[in-house]
Amino acid sequence: MADVFDEILSLVTPERLLRDPRATGEGVSVCVIDSGIERAVLEQKYRGKGQELHGIEGGIFTADRPEPLPYEGRQSTPHGTTVADIILTVAPRVRLYSADIFGTQGGCEVEVVIRALRWAIDVWKCKVVNLSLGVPEHRLQQVQRRYQFLRAIEDGYYKDVLIFAAAHNDHPLTRSYPAAFAPPLISVDKQLFDDPLQFTYHLHEQIEFFAHSRGYLGPFANEPATSWAAPHLSGIAARILSLKPTLKPFELKTILYWMFTGSRAEQK
Amino acid sequence: MAETILIVDDEEPVRQTFREWLDGAHLEGRVLVAGDAESALVQANQQTVDLAILDWNLGAGNDGLQLLEDLRMFSPEIVAIMITGYAHQATPLDAMRMGVRDYLDKNQDLNRNTFLKAVQKQLEQIRPAKRERQLHDGLLAFREAVAKILPLVETAAALNDPVPLPEAIGTLFRFLLRTTGARDGVLLVRSVDPERRTERCQVYDTAGRVLNVELVPFARSVAGSVVSLQEPAAMNQLDQLAATGSIDLQPFERGRKSLLAASLAVAANTNVVLELFDKPGAFGPDDHRLMGVAADFGAEMLRQALAERQTRRALCDAVAAALSASESLVQSLTGTPQQRKEQPPPDAVIQRLREGLSAAPGAAVDAAETLRLVEAVRVLALRHGAPAVQHCIRLVESLRSLLDTATGAGN
Repeated sequence: MADVFDEILSLVTPERLLRDPRATGEGVSVCVIDSGIERAVLEQKYRGKGQELHGIEGGIFTADRPEPLPYEGRQSTPHGTTVADIILTVAPRVRLYSADIFGTQGGCEVEVVIRALRWAIDVWKCKVVNLSLGVPEHRLQQVQRRYQFLRAIEDGYYKDVLIFAAAHNDHPLTRSYPAAFAPPLISVDKQLFDDPLQFTYHLHEQIEFFAHSRGYLGPFANEPATSWAAPHLSGIAARILSLKPTLKPFELKTILYWMFTGSRAEQK
Repeated sequence: MAETILIVDDEEPVRQTFREWLDGAHLEGRVLVAGDAESALVQANQQTVDLAILDWNLGAGNDGLQLLEDLRMFSPEIVAIMITGYAHQATPLDAMRMGVRDYLDKNQDLNRNTFLKAVQKQLEQIRPAKRERQLHDGLLAFREAVAKILPLVETAAALNDPVPLPEAIGTLFRFLLRTTGARDGVLLVRSVDPERRTERCQVYDTAGRVLNVELVPFARSVAGSVVSLQEPAAMNQLDQLAATGSIDLQPFERGRKSLLAASLAVAANTNVVLELFDKPGAFGPDDHRLMGVAADFGAEMLRQALAERQTRRALCDAVAAALSASESLVQSLTGTPQQRKEQPPPDAVIQRLREGLSAAPGAAVDAAETLRLVEAVRVLALRHGAPAVQHCIRLVESLRSLLDTATGAGN
């Protein structure tokens, strides 16, 4: 007799969910907390492919102001544009918000990341937040600062916001945050796949998912990096959310897990 | 420092008497005696004389006033009491100019009391002035010494660099080139001023020399991407990258085939990126790991160099502050005490007063004019005392009354 769960899970397949024509990211707001997005470059690229993007909005966050400075469609460094391009490649109909935390200060401070995260959740009402910029462990030595960061991520979780964080875990000694704050967020490591919609689940050192780690635009895009893996999974989540926008983080994580186990069983 | 008093008189009994009076009064000071101008000048050449007690008529054709003029060559601040038999014939203006501050008439009022009273009065005036002069001279000597030291402490180029490069960074570069097989490399340093929202970039070659090239904006550079990646990253087909339109290549990156780069976490508002170019074949995983370790090591070196530089900068700032403070003090000691009293208040005080007057509701007169009037009254009070100010007030009130009558403004 077939397991009842096998019957249910057999319906949750990448083919069924990710290849659905409605799974485009439409209706899903995604915030890229990064180094800004060069809007014109992306608009030109997708116009060339015959795809019209939703307008990209955003703000530049600094340590000395509670509100962001106006976003004028520019990047502070190319990293954010590469991340945004990956999300648009996977889910071209998402509405992107650029939270530039790199800005003029030339680096990302924990307080600025927290400020941008709260703004994305409370003001822009984003459903997905992509964090490919990591915070080195030494900047979270203060217990208070670490707690504030964790609290902001947990707030996102309880407000049904999916936060994807790149696991910059190559360093032999230090851990990368906020990926190490999992499970209220989804941490993503790098792996190469034939299909950018592929991913795997493999729990190790608080990292749960592996996604495709090559980008498509900008310097180092071809270099496998966790920075490029996180937006692939963000894009995949956006595709699923466009089918059911009210999914909670634990529901979506479960769906991702079931999709992976289902596809693996299928391969066997 | 005790004052030096020089007695010059051609009559031995007079010299002896004056000396005994001074010794008996236990004045804090050193007493020298001379019987003629030549002996007086010899002694003045050996030590600074503060007060001279001079016989108007020294005999042998010398007079005390001439000697005083000669003594000023050795002791420019010297003052004198003239002992004369005919004080009414003295030329007060010339004598005052030369430093004569009192006269004692041998034939009328010269006795122990009047002599000691006159000496005591001069010493009381000399002492604060002398202390000020010593402070002034000390400050000038201090400033001179600091001004000599400052260039040794402060190397302008080193202090202006965003990050000071220790020589060891060259060694690190050579090690990386040798172990990875890269042909060349650069170190790019970007410092950001968050308040002015400006950035400054500097590039160094593998020998630590500054490359004078026109740089593309950091936001559109390969290095900008590297600092966000937070892990070493390699790129092949570098020359084709610019064609994508998302970045611009720096002049030293153009024509290169491959690149391995890493960001060095050195300080807030500072980005440091190490770039290696053109390894035959391609940069592999071992090169990545090596670059990661080198980046950690290099960052530590630069952090230490930066800390040392900050210590030097703090020292320079302290020295500069001391110089500035001493300059203010030197300026405040310029002129006589009376002149200093009459100097207007510091600019900052005047500025505050001006702002306050300008902001006052219903101000009918320009703030600068009001301040001029106040300053004129202040100097008047200093020179001529309270009666002069009261007279001034009466004048103003009379003028107001006169004008009220003439214009009918008071009705």
